[in-house]
Amino acid sequence: MGDAEIFERLKQSMIEQDQDEVLAAVDDALAGGVEAKAIIDQGLLPGLNVIGEQFECEEIFLPELMQAALAFQAAMGVLEPKIREAGGAGPKKGRIVLGTVKGDLHSIGKNILKLLFETSGFEVWDLGIDVDLFKFLDKAKEVDADIIAMSALLTTTLIGQRDVIEALTEQGRRDKVKVMIGGGATTQAWADQIGADGWAATAYEAMTLATGLVAR
Amino acid sequence: MAAFFELLTPEEVERTHEASLEVLESVGILAHNARAREILARHGCVVDDESGLVKLPGAVVEKYRSLAPGSFTFRGRDPRFDRTIPGDGPIVVTGSSAPNVVDPVTGVERRATSTDIADIAYLINELPGFDVFSISTLADDAPPGQLSLSRFYPALKNCLKPVRSNTPTMDDLRQVIELGQIIAGGTDAYRERPIINHHYCPMVSPLTMDVESTEAVMWLTEQRLPVYTTVVPNAGLTAPMTMMGCLVIANAEFLAITALQQMIAEGTPVIYAGLPTVADMRTGAYAPGAIETGMLLAGQAQLARHYDVPSGGYIGLTNAHANDAQSGFETGMNTLLGVAAGATLLNMGGLLSSLMAFDFAKCVIDNEIALMDKRVWRGLEFSDENLAVDEIAAAGPAGSYMGRRHTKARMRTTAVLPRLADRGMRPQWEDAGRPDIHSRALAEARRILAQANPAVWDDDLDAAIRARFPGMVAGDAIPLEEPPA
Repeated sequence: MGDAEIFERLKQSMIEQDQDEVLAAVDDALAGGVEAKAIIDQGLLPGLNVIGEQFECEEIFLPELMQAALAFQAAMGVLEPKIREAGGAGPKKGRIVLGTVKGDLHSIGKNILKLLFETSGFEVWDLGIDVDLFKFLDKAKEVDADIIAMSALLTTTLIGQRDVIEALTEQGRRDKVKVMIGGGATTQAWADQIGADGWAATAYEAMTLATGLVAR
Repeated sequence: MAAFFELLTPEEVERTHEASLEVLESVGILAHNARAREILARHGCVVDDESGLVKLPGAVVEKYRSLAPGSFTFRGRDPRFDRTIPGDGPIVVTGSSAPNVVDPVTGVERRATSTDIADIAYLINELPGFDVFSISTLADDAPPGQLSLSRFYPALKNCLKPVRSNTPTMDDLRQVIELGQIIAGGTDAYRERPIINHHYCPMVSPLTMDVESTEAVMWLTEQRLPVYTTVVPNAGLTAPMTMMGCLVIANAEFLAITALQQMIAEGTPVIYAGLPTVADMRTGAYAPGAIETGMLLAGQAQLARHYDVPSGGYIGLTNAHANDAQSGFETGMNTLLGVAAGATLLNMGGLLSSLMAFDFAKCVIDNEIALMDKRVWRGLEFSDENLAVDEIAAAGPAGSYMGRRHTKARMRTTAVLPRLADRGMRPQWEDAGRPDIHSRALAEARRILAQANPAVWDDDLDAAIRARFPGMVAGDAIPLEEPPA
């Protein structure tokens, strides 16, 4: 099998969201001497791009996007150690501290977002649910985060997002980190009011938004 | 009604019940509140304190859920407005806690304030379709430390009907109960007639019990104050992608919180309330206005009858952002389905954009939908007298019924007389400037709010409340401004 065929198989396995086939194609490619970085850049990512396009035009649905992302992450579990061994670990796209605000225990949307952030190349620290404002601040400082991303589903917990932004300002660190918010209770108007750098309605839009925020 | 619309056979109801027990016993729930875990353990549940996982044996669940009584009472400032379900049902309760309001003048969505709450409370007091005012919005102008007071004070001040809402913390909860006690005329009087009706969502799907809301529910249950809960599974996200799997999650969650309440105080009144949805799999979008919500609530109504407890929930919601056809068909179809299925509590009233924004016109439109729903519940009113054979004989073939005494005696009660639904001819509508339902409804809201509110309490009581809680918002309803010409 030539390289072109190997890459095409990797790409197709991603498009089919078939984790077993993705892992088999990765194994075969490695056995055939293809470098891990090339497997990602020329096989898996082109497949993932097709998945993204298909999702945007509603050809595939959210569960399929997630299956593809999970398959990609499984492949990265095999490939990343090899890239590190070869000393070729490229820089991540950015560092994100993620969590659901104080008083709110809703995690499912946030977890979908985490998966998409990681799949699109971010390094993510997930603080979980019911996250105190200082936990956001301390972790962001500790890891030198590019973005703090906060979710809130309950309208009564929304103010936790404002609290974090106000505390950042008080600490004089507002310009050090971008803040993005989301979750069922949030709107663009709320983001504007509290001075967040961005808002997204869905996990997929949030992933695109984060990419734009770090590129600025 | 002689019979309810049912989607499940009795055998299927029984099997759904058994499946829920199986889930509670073998999968269990994650209980984040340590005190809840301790109570559950003391009453025969298997608790792992390290993980927070609680397994509820079927026999334990059955023992305690069967202690829940068959009715629940909402009390208002004026006892004439007290409502007990299922007997007084279907009752219509507004949807609550939207952060935003669609400004009645500009039509632009903005953060809601305590003045909006005062206006909405007055509107609900006047609109006959509504029975309970669940505080529709948050109050962005709340002074520090008065987040909940700034909602309950304007609500109670401007509405004699029962007021319902939640509080984010125990401090807020104690504060609003103290407000209720001052209004009632003391702690004993309040115990006799608790006029604040509490509501929480302590169960976070799937199968998780939170900390703060659970604490509030436990405390209120201990205090014998009225509280009920709503379960909110979302198929495809927090429940399996089948209608029945979603019902099993909802039912297991209802049984878990109900068992906990009965362990604390046997005979605590409950409502089997839900907001079950199926997520839109194309994007994961929340879809409370979808027809599946009404279908799932119909299933819950059947399960509730199996348990002999009242049922209902959020069923008149819409994803629409304006008073358009989508808003009307989503609220109308779902609430009608709920009524037909025997749900006696319908949460509808004024919310657009899936619970995000209150709209004054939507509220008036929903009042009219509510009146139609209640008309359906009254049914065809069968009686020998209503068969009207004597009247048919008296009018005779080719006779007219319009001018007859029999007709005159029943002309105001047989059918709903809508104020908004247009029954005129097209030329009349064109002459009036082709007003749509939104503008007609907003005009009706303006008409009501232009008058002084008779529901407001006297100055002495107001002074006593304001002395206890200094710096509080004004809490007065004001007429809606006219739109710019």
